[in-house]
Amino acid sequence: MAATFGPGRQSGVFRGWDRFDYVLVLSAVGLVVFGLLLIYSGTYRTYEGPPASFANPVTKQAIFAIFGIIVMLAVSKIDYHYLTHYSPVLYGISLLSLVAILLMGHSAYGSTRWFNLGPIQIQPSEFAKLATILLLAKFFSAHGGDAKDLRTLIFSLGIVAPCFALVFIQPDLGTSIVFVSVWLGVVLVAGVSRRHLFILAAVGLAVLPFAWTFFVADYQIERISVLVDPEEDPLDAGYNVIQSQIAVGSGQLTGKGLTNGEQTQLGYLKVATKDFIFSLQAEELGFAGSMVMFSLFIVLLMRGIRAAQIAGDISGQLVAVGIVILILMQAFINIAVNLSLFPVTGIPLPLVSQGGSSLVSIFVSLGLLQSIIMRHRAYRQT
Amino acid sequence: MSALGGGFRSPSTPSRNRPHGNLAALRIAVIVLFGILTAQLFNMQILQGSDYARRSRENHLTRKEILPPRGLILDRNGTPLVRNVGIYTAVITPTFLPEEPEARYALYLRLETLLGVPALEIQSRVKEKEADGKGDIEFPIKEGLTKEQALALEEMTADMSGVALSIQPGREYIGGDAFSHILGYIGKQTPEEYRDLKGEGYSLNEPVGKGGVELTYQEILRGQKGATAAEQDAQGNLLKALKSRDAVPGDNVRLAIDVDLQNYIAEMLVDSLPNPVTMNQKNATQAAAVVMSAKTGEVLALVSVPTYDNNIFAQVAQRGAEYEELATNNATRPLTNKALSQALPGSTYKLITAAAALQEGNITPSTSRDIPSRILEIKGENGVIYPLVDWRAHGSGIDLTQAIAWSSNIYMFMAVCGIPNGSLQPHKAIGKDVDSSASIFAYYQRAFGMGQPTGIDIPGEDIGRVPDPAWKARNYAGPEYTDNDRDWFYADTCFTAIGQQDVLATPLQIARMTAAIATGKLFTPHVAKDILDADGKVVRTIKPDWKSVPVDEANLAAVRRGMHESVLAGAGLRAQVPGMDIAGKTGTAEFGTQRADLTYDQHAWFTGYYPYNDPEYVVTVYFDYGVGGDKAAPAAANIFSWMNQNLK
Repeated sequence: MAATFGPGRQSGVFRGWDRFDYVLVLSAVGLVVFGLLLIYSGTYRTYEGPPASFANPVTKQAIFAIFGIIVMLAVSKIDYHYLTHYSPVLYGISLLSLVAILLMGHSAYGSTRWFNLGPIQIQPSEFAKLATILLLAKFFSAHGGDAKDLRTLIFSLGIVAPCFALVFIQPDLGTSIVFVSVWLGVVLVAGVSRRHLFILAAVGLAVLPFAWTFFVADYQIERISVLVDPEEDPLDAGYNVIQSQIAVGSGQLTGKGLTNGEQTQLGYLKVATKDFIFSLQAEELGFAGSMVMFSLFIVLLMRGIRAAQIAGDISGQLVAVGIVILILMQAFINIAVNLSLFPVTGIPLPLVSQGGSSLVSIFVSLGLLQSIIMRHRAYRQT
Repeated sequence: MSALGGGFRSPSTPSRNRPHGNLAALRIAVIVLFGILTAQLFNMQILQGSDYARRSRENHLTRKEILPPRGLILDRNGTPLVRNVGIYTAVITPTFLPEEPEARYALYLRLETLLGVPALEIQSRVKEKEADGKGDIEFPIKEGLTKEQALALEEMTADMSGVALSIQPGREYIGGDAFSHILGYIGKQTPEEYRDLKGEGYSLNEPVGKGGVELTYQEILRGQKGATAAEQDAQGNLLKALKSRDAVPGDNVRLAIDVDLQNYIAEMLVDSLPNPVTMNQKNATQAAAVVMSAKTGEVLALVSVPTYDNNIFAQVAQRGAEYEELATNNATRPLTNKALSQALPGSTYKLITAAAALQEGNITPSTSRDIPSRILEIKGENGVIYPLVDWRAHGSGIDLTQAIAWSSNIYMFMAVCGIPNGSLQPHKAIGKDVDSSASIFAYYQRAFGMGQPTGIDIPGEDIGRVPDPAWKARNYAGPEYTDNDRDWFYADTCFTAIGQQDVLATPLQIARMTAAIATGKLFTPHVAKDILDADGKVVRTIKPDWKSVPVDEANLAAVRRGMHESVLAGAGLRAQVPGMDIAGKTGTAEFGTQRADLTYDQHAWFTGYYPYNDPEYVVTVYFDYGVGGDKAAPAAANIFSWMNQNLK
C-alpha cells in the first residue's frame, strides 16, 4: 500500500515537494536577509530616493532575491538531466558571451566583467560557472567508469580551460581559481587517479612562472604585493586593504551596530556593499555576527553536500559537488580578501553581496540542488 | 511518469551510474576553510581588536589643538608690557613638492621673489633634508615674515604644493628696553625642554618662557590648551564637530614694577654714565638700580644698564648681527642683569658691620674714637707693621653716627676686628681671636642676606660671597697656593668690614639689606605683585615674606641715625632732596690693580631709604666706575625726587 502511494504516485506540480530541502532554502534566505540589512546600512546615507524604487539598492536586491527564489522553484521542478543534456549548448553560449565581454564589456577597478542591459548589469561569468559544472557532470556521467583514464582527465580539463582562460584574461584571478577548484573537486569525486593529478600539478607548477610573466596583469601583481605590505602604497592599491583591515578589526566582539560603523559610513571602505560587504558586516556586527553568517554558510554547504550524498546518479552528484565547491570557494575567497588573506579580487560574497547576476545564479544553483534532492529516489531505483 | 519528471535517463547502465564519490573530504574542506577564516577573524577582531579600534578612531577623528592666548604681563598700574602676536613662518615639506625638478625650481624662484631667500639656497636645503630622510617633515625656510609677506604667501600656497604658512604664537614687548632683563622672552622649546615638559602636557609647538618673569611664571601665563575633535570622511570633509574644549587664556601677571619709574631710572642712569667729576675716574659703562618697598619687599624698579631690546629673540633671523653683537659684547655684557650681578659692595657693607658690632656689644652708639691719621698701623704676627688706610683723617671724638655718616674705615676696623696694637688705643674684637671674629661677622652678613639667593622671582641671580676662614681655605685649596694664602688674617676681617677684597654682593642684596636695617625685616623681594585672571580679577596675591634680622631695634636705629646724618651732612649729602627725609649710605669700592698714582678703579654705590621715620622705599644705585658720593648719590637723589613727585 505504502508503495502505491509513494512519491512515484504523486502527480502534477506537487510531485517531489515532500523531499524539498527547506533547511537549504532557509539558510539561503537567511544569508539574503543578512545581505539586505548590510546593503541598507551601506547605502542609506547616499540613497535619497523613495524606498520602493528600483533605484533603491535594497529594494533592487530584494526584487532580485524574490526573482531568484522563483527561478529556484522553477529550476527545482525541472529534471536536472534536461540541463545536463543541453549543457553543451549552455556552455557554448557562455563562452561566446565571455568572448563578447572582452570586446565590449564595462570595466571596474581594472577588469572587464559585465554587460549593461538597461538598468541591469549581467555578468556572464556567473552563468559560465554553472554551464561548466553541468558539462563536466555530463561528461563524467558518460565516462563514469573510465575517470581513472588520463585521457578522460585531460579532456575534462579541456572543458574548464577555455572558461578559465577567458576569465583569467578579463582579468579575474578569483573566478579563475573558482574554476580550477570546481574542476578539481569534480574530478576527485569522479574518482580520478591521484597519480595523474600529481603529474598535472607538476606540469601546472612548471608553467606557472610563464603564466605569471605573460598573463598576470600588473594590477594583480600590485594587489598581491600590497597584501604583503599594504602600507607600501597607502593611497592607491593598499588603501582598500588597510581600510578593510581597520573595519574588520575595529568591529571587535559585538560590532559597532548596524549603520554605526565609521569605516563604512564615512566612506573609508570602498565597494562596501559588494566585494567588501563582509568588512561592513564585521565592523558593524562584529565577531558574533560573523559567526552567525559562517553558521548559515556551513549549514547551506552541508545541505549541498547532503544533496551530493543522496544524489540518484553520478551526474546529479557531480553537479551538486560542483555547486557546493562553487559556493564554498566564492565565499572563502571573498572573505579571505576581506581578511587580507588573499589579494584583492572581484568576487562577490554569495547571496550576501549586492548584485543581481550573482544572486540569481546562486539561486539557480540551489534550484539544481533541489532538483537533485527531489529526484534522488527516482534515479536510485533505476 | 510525467514527461517532466521522467525522461532523459542516462545512456549508461544503472550499475556504472551509481554515485561512488567520497564526500567526507568535501565536508572537511568546508570546516577547514571556514576554520581558517574564523581563526583570522578571531585574530583581527578579538586579539588585535582594540588596536584596530584605535586606528579606526584615528582614521576618522581629526583632533586639533588650540593654543591658549598667553597671559599678559602688566605693570603695577595695569599698563601692559607685552602683546601677543603671531609669528609667521614659511615652511616646506619636501615630500609634497612637485616631482619634476623644473616645477620645483620654478616654485623656489617664486619664493625667492616673495621672501628674498635665494632659490639655490632653498634647493640645497630641500636636498639636504631629503638626503637625511627627513623629506616628510616640514622645516622653516624663513621665519618672522611681515604681515604682507604672510598674506601673499597664504594666497600662493593654494597652488604651491609642499609650501605652507605656519603661524606660531609670539610676544611683542612694548614696555621699553628697560624691561628686557625683567621680562625675559619666550621661544620654541629646545629638545631638552620638550623632554621635560612633555609629561606636563606640553606640545612641541607651545612656546615657553626663557628667562625673566616669562620663565618664572610660565605655568601661570601658559593657560590651558583647547582642542576640537571632528569627524572626517574618507574625502577629508569635516562632517561634524564632535567635541570642543575652548582654550583657557593664561592668567595675567601684574608686576610691582612701575613702568614710568623703571623707564625714568633707565634713561637717567644712561645719561649719568659719563663721569662729570674730574678725579681720574673712567666713565661708567654699566649701572643698576633697585627700588624696593621697605614694607613688603616688592620691587618697583629693577634696572640694568645698558639695556637691549628683547624683541630681538623673536627676530633672530632678521636681526642676527645685532643679536651677535649683544651676545658677544664682553665689555658691558648687555644681556646680563646688573641688578642681580655681584660686585664689591664697598662701604655700603659698613651698615652690616656697624649692626654686628652693636649687637655683639663691641661698641655702643656713643663709642667714640680719635682718628687723627688716615693710616692705622698694625703690627702683624710676624712683627711687620702693616698700614690700614682710611679715605681721610676723620679727627677726634668720632662716634658711630659720624663714622657711618662720613664712612670711616678705621672706626669699622675697630668695631669688628678690634685694634690689637699700633698707632691707636687698643680695642677688643667681636670674637676672642681673628678666626672667631671672622665667623661671628660672617653670621651677621648672612643674617642680612649676603652669600645666598634673595629668592627674587627672576631666574639667574648671583648669590654673592661672604668670605670667612672656611671660604678662604676652600678657595685657595689648590696646589698653586701656600698655607699662607689659605690662612685667615686680621686684615681679612677688616677688609670685609668695609666691603672690600673678597666680599661680593648684588645691588638687589644691598637693597634688601638696607630694607632690613630700616625695618628689621629681611624680605624676599619679588617683582610680581599679584595674579589676575583674564577678566582682571585678582586670583592670587604675592604676600610679603620676610624673616627678622637678629639685631635689636635700638641697634638698628643707631645705624639708621648714621645713615640719616650721612644724607643730611655727610658723605651722602648729594642724595639729599629738598622736602624729603632720606637716610642712606655711600659706597666706593676699589677694585682691580693699583695704578701709578696709587689709586684704584672704583665702583660707585648708594643705598638709602625714605622717609627716615617711617621707611617706605629703599633705593639702591650702582655704577661700575665712579665715587659713591659723587656719582651714585646724585643718581639716587634723582630717583627719590622722581618718586616723591610721581609715585601714586
